[in-house]
Amino acid sequence: MKILIPGLLALLLISPPAVPTDDIRLDVKELTLENGMRFLVLERHESPVFSVVLRYKVGSVDERPGITGMAHLCEHMMFKGTKLFGTTDYEAELPYLRKIDSLAELLTIEQARERNPFYKGSKDKVDSLKAEIHKVQLEETRYIIKDELWETYLRNGGTMLNASTFSDGTQYFVSLPANRLELWALLESDRMANLVTREYYSERDVVYEERRLRTDNDPSGYLEEQFNAAAFTACGYSWPVIGWASDLETMTRLDLNEFRDKFYAPNNAVVAIVGDVEFDEVKYIAEKYFGPIPPSTGLPKIATIEPPQKGERRVKVKFDAEPQALIGYHTVAAGDPDLAPLEIMASILTDGRTSRLHKKMVENLKIAQSIGCGVSSSRYPDMFMFWLTPMGDATLEANENAIYAEIENMKTQPVSDWELQRVRNQLDANYIRMLRSNMWMAFSLSGNDALTGDWRYIKNHYWERKAVTKEDIMRVAKKYFTEDNRTVAYIVKTPGAQMPARPQAVRPRVKGGY
Amino acid sequence: MRRYSVFAGILLIALNFAAAQTSSSPGSKLVNSLRYKELNWQIPKVGVDVQRIVLENGMIVFLLPNHELPLVDANLLVRTGEIYEPKENMAIPGLTGKLMRTGGTKNIAPDSLDALLEFMAASIDIGIGEESGWGSLSVLAKDIRLGFKVLADILMNPMFSEKKLRLAKEQIREDIRRRNDNPGRIIGREFNHLIYGDHPKGSILEWADVKNIKRDDIIAFHRKYFCPNNVMMAIAGDFNPDTIIQILNESFAGWSKQQIELGPIPEVNFEYKPGVYIVNKDISQANILIGHLGIKRENPDRYAIALMNYILGGGSFTSRLTTQVRSNEGLAYSVGSNFDISSRDYGLFTAHCQTKNSTAHKAITLMLDEIRKISQTQVDTQEFAMARDAYINQFVFNFTSPGQIVNQLMSLEFNKMPPDYYEKYLDNIRAVKIEDIQRVAQIYLKPESLTIMVVGNPADFDAPLDDFGTIKEIPLAPPVIR
Repeated sequence: MKILIPGLLALLLISPPAVPTDDIRLDVKELTLENGMRFLVLERHESPVFSVVLRYKVGSVDERPGITGMAHLCEHMMFKGTKLFGTTDYEAELPYLRKIDSLAELLTIEQARERNPFYKGSKDKVDSLKAEIHKVQLEETRYIIKDELWETYLRNGGTMLNASTFSDGTQYFVSLPANRLELWALLESDRMANLVTREYYSERDVVYEERRLRTDNDPSGYLEEQFNAAAFTACGYSWPVIGWASDLETMTRLDLNEFRDKFYAPNNAVVAIVGDVEFDEVKYIAEKYFGPIPPSTGLPKIATIEPPQKGERRVKVKFDAEPQALIGYHTVAAGDPDLAPLEIMASILTDGRTSRLHKKMVENLKIAQSIGCGVSSSRYPDMFMFWLTPMGDATLEANENAIYAEIENMKTQPVSDWELQRVRNQLDANYIRMLRSNMWMAFSLSGNDALTGDWRYIKNHYWERKAVTKEDIMRVAKKYFTEDNRTVAYIVKTPGAQMPARPQAVRPRVKGGY
Repeated sequence: MRRYSVFAGILLIALNFAAAQTSSSPGSKLVNSLRYKELNWQIPKVGVDVQRIVLENGMIVFLLPNHELPLVDANLLVRTGEIYEPKENMAIPGLTGKLMRTGGTKNIAPDSLDALLEFMAASIDIGIGEESGWGSLSVLAKDIRLGFKVLADILMNPMFSEKKLRLAKEQIREDIRRRNDNPGRIIGREFNHLIYGDHPKGSILEWADVKNIKRDDIIAFHRKYFCPNNVMMAIAGDFNPDTIIQILNESFAGWSKQQIELGPIPEVNFEYKPGVYIVNKDISQANILIGHLGIKRENPDRYAIALMNYILGGGSFTSRLTTQVRSNEGLAYSVGSNFDISSRDYGLFTAHCQTKNSTAHKAITLMLDEIRKISQTQVDTQEFAMARDAYINQFVFNFTSPGQIVNQLMSLEFNKMPPDYYEKYLDNIRAVKIEDIQRVAQIYLKPESLTIMVVGNPADFDAPLDDFGTIKEIPLAPPVIR
């Protein structure tokens, strides 16, 4: 019996499993409204429910210094109500909102003074303006119905209700009983067109607490932020999605409204609906609710490009936590033909227990507790990343050497038939498994369509990956994995390191000297 | 896609509560004007939608074929766990589960097993926890025979390779070394330990519990609990029932029934531990967890408690805690409460939030106010209707896929819940009256007996916490890993 299994493996290799994916037709129906909004529908009548993702093509990469974190804050504000929901009388709220905006204008001036050593800024003045804003906001609550959108969804059976923001996009999602399609359209079209950014300043504080939770007091989150800030010098991927702390203290409601008006529009949105719905019904409802919303004319057309990196960047991060490290190489954007071989390479390196680096670093050398890697598929050129957790007293150097040696090996030695076939078999299976979940499929359809303009990228990119050869892998290994193109960020355990939170006044940078 | 209806019969269940909004926003009037078609579905039942079969070897199998996708998924439950073992053995169940998957079998060496599964794009996982063991197999339909053969081999003939045992132990040691890196992890561990002590629900795994475990300990544990009459399996996907039974009989041939003696189960000592417990850590945000022991799952008030907790802090944004602490005051990103109604022995009621050190006292004050308030006055009709409608209308999401359906029905039997649990579920929710909310809050929430735990930097708190109770410090010693 012991011999049977290797024999079996050989058999599998001689006759690769029949590809069952040909049976899997992605019968996606699509619709583009006159205002540019896209709808993708995959009917699936297994169970009387559907999942829907509404994705706006706006993320932190679309921000600028001074308003970092705005895309994510916008996502939070999308739950705060509209002219129709969340209020008993929107007109009556307007004087409060105007009052808050004028106080905020004064606050911005005071904050700028407080941060500038040439002025005698006053912390007391800043604090009293903040308190006044808080007071007016609490007065406004007499007209506010809290979280009515959330409540309406939940009362109607909504589950998995939430939203998420990342560097390239923002997505709003929910699963609902099949008969609630029109309710979804009513609520989402309303918040696309009629958002009211009430309770903005308390929500900004909420996001600051989210930052403390996910970044300031979490070693992985903090390390990632420091990594990106070093790896990207020009592209918007350099700042954190959650935003820099000082921006979260100063961005105003009017800043947010300006950002929202530019990006939250039908011509910047893609919807994917998967489940027990009929396309004709979706079409009727889409036109009825989203059709009248005018498109945005202010969508940006071009973005800053990251210049080539000329020399390794190493970032030491002090934190009260055991060591971890991130290692990354600049690569390509989605749509580049090198993406597929990079993905296959990542899979051979760290996917599963048979992968090269897991076997070597975790099981044999025991220098890592875990090692993972992956390449981002993004709107602009992004990174191939390694996530490393060293084991015990194993050094970062030993771990780095193990990774770099394996990469060097991949530049000159073709991967084995078995490794390549293993990855191809898993591609087939994953292609089928993605269809198991309505929500997962809706993310995939909307995400791929938003990124490439055509949901069929799911299928095309699957075939691109299946076609990757041994030579392709050697070629991309040589092309991208150079020392000069590398950034390494690592944690050095330092008790008490993450404490000082208060931003310090910055000394003005003077050129030429006095 | 090939389509196949999971829900063979059609029995209309009026899930369409006229979810009338009573608030007076212009939008609520629009929502009220919408009309919804009836949903056609029925609650799946054993014997109707799902086949239940007892194999000759005593294994109980639940089957739900579905041919939409060429996949087969199996999940299994085993009656075992830390709860049946003395405390000094607490690391053995977890290690056994891990090693069953990684340690090879009599027929397949560990690395070949990994290679075989990954090449088939299949996965098998095994785990053993506090009071159950579980396993899963996911395989393409064309590989169904081989998939079950390997799963059976793992269950029947694990070899527990010494090399993989050493690796697993060192991985646990590394995990212990890193256990104070994240405040959320610290507070979860210390809170449970304070409430449950050395009961498996609260005991803390130390390197000393792990380092001396031998392969023989693991072999003995496996032998004691793994036999077909102690296993339940739920299978969903692209198969034919007759074929799968034949496959199971072949794969598990030679595995025979065995007399099982489950050890005595330690009972949770029901005791409140009031006071303020501080874990001093130099971080910029205080992590707050407040709570005490709650109920056992057979408690008939569980439905009323679920709705009460939903209103207090379980219903995410619509709950009172979120409105006060997050929405009005902007003090926390994550705030809410949880009342465990599903544990066999006493579960926990907890409320949590994370806020900057300089608002820790204020946040705790607001949270305690809400916990007191819900037992002092009746909730309003709008809040109550909201909670009830959400429970009723979300119910369908318990049964959205064949895998989920068959697992739910297996779990019911495994957990010795009434077979008609799901059929009666909606009636049980509907039977809760508005006055029950205050009643159960008075019985099951004890504001004066709450344990208040904070991981943070007390030097920066807005006020000392001693007005909430006597302060005790929980030292955060570096874990011993030698």
